[in-house]
Amino acid sequence: MGELFTLFISAALIDNIILSKFTGMCPFLGVSKKSSSAVGMGAAVTFVIFAAALVTYGLYYMVLDPLDIEYMKLITFILVIASLVQFVEMVIKKFSPPLYKALGIYLPLITTNCAVLYVVLENIAQNYNFIEMVVYSLGVPVGFMLVIVVFSKIRERLEAADTPKYFKGNPIGLITCALMAMAFSGLAGLV
Amino acid sequence: MNRWKNFTSGFVRENPVFGLYLGICSVLAVSTTINNALGMGVCVIITLLLSNVIISVMRDIVPNDIRIPVYIVIIASLVTVVEMLVNAFSPALAESLGTFISLIVVNCIILGRAEAFASKNGVVDSILDALGMGLGYTVSLLAMALIRQVIGTGVLEFTNPFDASQIIFSFTIIPSDFTVSLFSSAPGAFLTFGILAGLLAMYNGKKQEKAEAEAKAAKAAAAKAAAEAKLKEAK
Amino acid sequence: MNNIGYALIFMAIMVGIFILTYLGNKNTPKPEGCEDLKADCGGCHDISCGHHPAHTE
Repeated sequence: MGELFTLFISAALIDNIILSKFTGMCPFLGVSKKSSSAVGMGAAVTFVIFAAALVTYGLYYMVLDPLDIEYMKLITFILVIASLVQFVEMVIKKFSPPLYKALGIYLPLITTNCAVLYVVLENIAQNYNFIEMVVYSLGVPVGFMLVIVVFSKIRERLEAADTPKYFKGNPIGLITCALMAMAFSGLAGLV
Repeated sequence: MNRWKNFTSGFVRENPVFGLYLGICSVLAVSTTINNALGMGVCVIITLLLSNVIISVMRDIVPNDIRIPVYIVIIASLVTVVEMLVNAFSPALAESLGTFISLIVVNCIILGRAEAFASKNGVVDSILDALGMGLGYTVSLLAMALIRQVIGTGVLEFTNPFDASQIIFSFTIIPSDFTVSLFSSAPGAFLTFGILAGLLAMYNGKKQEKAEAEAKAAKAAAAKAAAEAKLKEAK
Repeated sequence: MNNIGYALIFMAIMVGIFILTYLGNKNTPKPEGCEDLKADCGGCHDISCGHHPAHTE
């Protein structure tokens, strides 16, 4: 139980996929200008990462491994993630417009995103068993949501601040990320 | 002339990394040493070149509705092959780059160039475009790696990617007491990237301002000349 | 040889599923009231994003 908790905390905070592993930067820089969209984005990412991790893990150990075609894993994973997102978006569009309004519009942005693919590949590379895979795949998006919401609040303040002309927008945002990364790396001694 | 302009646009004007913010996941992660940067850059150039060529050759055969899925499959297959090659020929590089070689497949540059350029132009133009963008990416990556490695570890070192024990050159530029190890780790990556992006924005912005000022001045001068000519005629 | 056969069949199935879901999603209209929602994002260099104009042409 202790190791699972450590795994969760390190996935969410210490080895945060944005501030420590650098994946998931595209939606991070793109959608973090308003905090309402950041929350929607976080929810969509959580859903996609968790669902994709489950499906790809199952596919890898039930189909690719027994048939001895592990080298197909990259192609398989990409196709699974992309099909899953298309399928889920189609289902949400048909059956739940309010849900579509809340998080459906962010789904396409995470279709082939570094973060989802990174989590899915790490699940295999680190040889997690099923429970560890579930904990990791839930911890990572929790960390993502935390960082993107905090960043969007900071960015809203930055808009009103007096930044040098050419640094406005993404450059000053990235320097802010540097400060956040420094703060988060201090948590490394926690566990 | 047009081809040359296309080729060089990938370096400063439309720099994929600092200008368009494409593929930044990998840039931040692998720019720790020059070895990694060069290795990643070469992998991206190879993938970009092959994918541009294949997609340009197939651009008339692929049905328009499903072209994006087809491109994704092609790029995924290419990256699988590149990853296997790297694992075979350069285990040191494979170990330091890790999962990021596989993440080339979602590097926005490759799918972006395939869709924006290779699906509409011939093979030679696509090759030039791939080389331009790929070299722009590699040069930006090297710039970041240079800064991070020199300030972070003080040593400018390059080892043979195929044989990790062979050091090609190694200069100690900053003595180890004065290095700022922050730059070798995560915050340093963001910091270097943000500063370089800001500097590039400043360079491009100032150039554009100058061009606009010159255009205005030329217009004003032309208007003045026209007015003087009219005055002369009236006299 | 059998190995490559499995791989090709598997890839064909996966690609088929992807193309089916992609076309299905493209042809499903957005529910009313959601017509001009934008993801409010600056990610428009990301071709694989479904909101990019490349997908709706």
